[in-house]
Amino acid sequence: MDAPLLELRRVSKTFGPTRALDDVSFALRAGTIHALVGENGAGKSTLIKTVTGLHPPSSGSILVDGQEVRFRSTAEAQRAGIAAIYQEPMVFPDLSVAENIFISHQDRPPWIDWAGLEREAAALIARLGVALDPSRPAGELTLAEQQTVEIARAIGLRVRVLIMDEPSAALSEHEVGRLHGIARALRAEGVAVLYISHRLEEVFALADMVTVMRDGRHVSTRPRSEVTQAGLVSEMVGRDMEGRFARTPSRATGQRVLAVRRLGRTGVFEDISFELAAGEIVCLAGLVGARRTDVALALFGVAPADRGTVEIEGRPAIIRSPRDAMRLGLAYVPEDRRKLGLALGLSVEANITLPRLEAYRDGRGLLDRARERADALRFRDAMRIKAAGPEVPVGTLSGGNQQKVMLAKWLNTAPRILIVDEPTRGIDIGAKAEVHRILRDLAGEGVAILVISSDLPEVLSLADRVLVMREGRLVGDLPGARTSEEAVMRLAVGAGEAAA
Amino acid sequence: MTALRERLTSWEGFLLLVLVLLYAWNALASPVFLTLGNQVNLFQLSIEKVIVALAMTFVIINGEIDLSVASVMGLAACSFGWLHGAGVPAAAAIPLVLLLGLACGGFNAFWVVRVGLPSLVVTLATMIAFRGLARVLVEDRGIGGFPAWFNALGQKPLIGPFPFAILLFFAMAALAWVLLHRTVFGRQVTVIGASRAVAEYSGVDVGRVKTAVLVASSGVAALAGLLFAARVGAVRGDVALGFELDIITIVLLGGVSIFGGVGSVTGTVLAILIVLSLRNGMALANLTGHIQSGVLGVLLILSVMVPVFRGWFQRVLHRPEAVS
Repeated sequence: MDAPLLELRRVSKTFGPTRALDDVSFALRAGTIHALVGENGAGKSTLIKTVTGLHPPSSGSILVDGQEVRFRSTAEAQRAGIAAIYQEPMVFPDLSVAENIFISHQDRPPWIDWAGLEREAAALIARLGVALDPSRPAGELTLAEQQTVEIARAIGLRVRVLIMDEPSAALSEHEVGRLHGIARALRAEGVAVLYISHRLEEVFALADMVTVMRDGRHVSTRPRSEVTQAGLVSEMVGRDMEGRFARTPSRATGQRVLAVRRLGRTGVFEDISFELAAGEIVCLAGLVGARRTDVALALFGVAPADRGTVEIEGRPAIIRSPRDAMRLGLAYVPEDRRKLGLALGLSVEANITLPRLEAYRDGRGLLDRARERADALRFRDAMRIKAAGPEVPVGTLSGGNQQKVMLAKWLNTAPRILIVDEPTRGIDIGAKAEVHRILRDLAGEGVAILVISSDLPEVLSLADRVLVMREGRLVGDLPGARTSEEAVMRLAVGAGEAAA
Repeated sequence: MTALRERLTSWEGFLLLVLVLLYAWNALASPVFLTLGNQVNLFQLSIEKVIVALAMTFVIINGEIDLSVASVMGLAACSFGWLHGAGVPAAAAIPLVLLLGLACGGFNAFWVVRVGLPSLVVTLATMIAFRGLARVLVEDRGIGGFPAWFNALGQKPLIGPFPFAILLFFAMAALAWVLLHRTVFGRQVTVIGASRAVAEYSGVDVGRVKTAVLVASSGVAALAGLLFAARVGAVRGDVALGFELDIITIVLLGGVSIFGGVGSVTGTVLAILIVLSLRNGMALANLTGHIQSGVLGVLLILSVMVPVFRGWFQRVLHRPEAVS
């Protein structure tokens, strides 16, 4: 066999006393899609940073075409043909697609040939099998299209190793399909793609090779044909996760807590009617753009509805602001925890106590910090949040732990109706199972829960009932126990018959 | 103790170190520096600015800016002079002027909170407008001849060697510390500055908090304008002209992030002490006002670089944590 394109030999990386990478060896070959899987904190991100020159390895060596290299910056790594793209595309929103693609090309003449630039950009994009106008500002594009621009930028630099760090996490089903098409096109051109993902379905659909990492160590590298889903999961978590998605019987008491009738907001969603019972978990499924989040924002008062009524525990409810909603016992855990969910620079405890800060006033009207701390510690223990202490900024926590802090923040308001929006997107399998456990426990305590999720296995394992939305309308109400991924998907894409 | 270690290696800890060195240097350079008389004098000369810096701390942590404070100080001083000239007794003029200050803040808040314009633009406009109003009120005159008891507020020691304004400053600093760090309101001010959307999604009444902060800023500025009138004993159209830059410099040097969400009253107070003793030390060393201004200009650049220093400082002193 020829020399691998990129090889890591016994690479370690330490930060102070912590070993983020511990003696990692594996190789990437040209013309393959190589999946890298592992829980959050397994060392995948550190690995990327080490390979792309952001953090040089503490020991061990990196080889390109059998030659040892030592990158001191991402620009050096790029010149050697190694580039990375991330979940959140990094584009300049005010520059055009073409300008974005050629932004880091330094070998061009000092004057700009605009027509040529756009022609070349169009050619690069076409190689990815995508249609995109090169003169459009990148800020107008969807996330998936911005990603395409980043990939085009990389191949314009004659990249030979492209690292994709959870590129599909924020994409809709359809867009994921297109992304996979791009990855395959790159493979056909001889590029080695290192594809990092939490979604095992995707790994099995796409990868030629699969490498598992855990706790900074390399666990295994095998051809896809030799791995099974269950085997992969147990290697990732280091324990057998059999039955982690097992269904639990519904604890719904039948007592109606929320009744939504003919809710509508002009141009966004229409005629939404459903009910929620105490102890029930209802999942709201649908494709990205089905306007599920908009319904949640209307119920929570962020963007109130124009029409229709909401009843909470039998009484008509008028919700014009999040404060109104919170008074009525509603809580909404948003999907975007960095922008909407958590103040990342503030401490874990300040985030957890934020929605009911008034309750922490002592007799003199001052904040009772001891009680804030006590509550934060209680949630940390109950939800197994891994943080150095309640006073550390929440932004220093891993994604899964941030997600738990966000849940703790809203559970702190003791809601009777909890709406969670994509509660497990982008977090690892272990944290995901714990989030599911927390939601089930809450339902067991009688909280009515509405889960917006695009993750169908999650929907099916959690839901007592599945509501399906398409293009701003409710198109299905399926019993959770007797439905299937196919049934939900048919409704979501508009291919099936309306269910009862 | 990690908490103690954290405290000593924070930006505030660094400011404290700078302050101690500055005091030691000044004390060695001039025997007068540490005398109580000089220390009182050092405060007295800039007391109006440092009082406004306390309110500005809230404004900037809240993610806004108030460029109109110096003009409000000027407008307050001039309208006091105008009322005095019109025969209104000082005891009645003081509350009227304070109300005018609050109204100025309300005007700023209307455009920022209700209409949604950036505070940088709104207060830049009102900085010009309020100053214009002040000049219209007194034209080219200086107005003086205020009652003795009023001038005494700014000039005569009240308790021991300390005049009213200095005592007021320390009382307000204590109040600001409690308000920012120990109350629901203070926490909300910080959260809004850190992320307005997160605050809104958490049920915080963002408009109310922002209004309160902007109104308080102008109210405190009006109070400071009155103190200026009392200390100088006369007012002119250019009272406190350009003070807003000194005030913002102090607050930024104190570690308040220009982007909001980060900062402390302790930091602002330490920065106040640093700037005052630096100026005073240079004056005692017979350095001219121009050199003093130059040094303060350098200080402004340094203070804008606080976030950079803060990161560097913590990287050096804290063991780096693993990033996965």
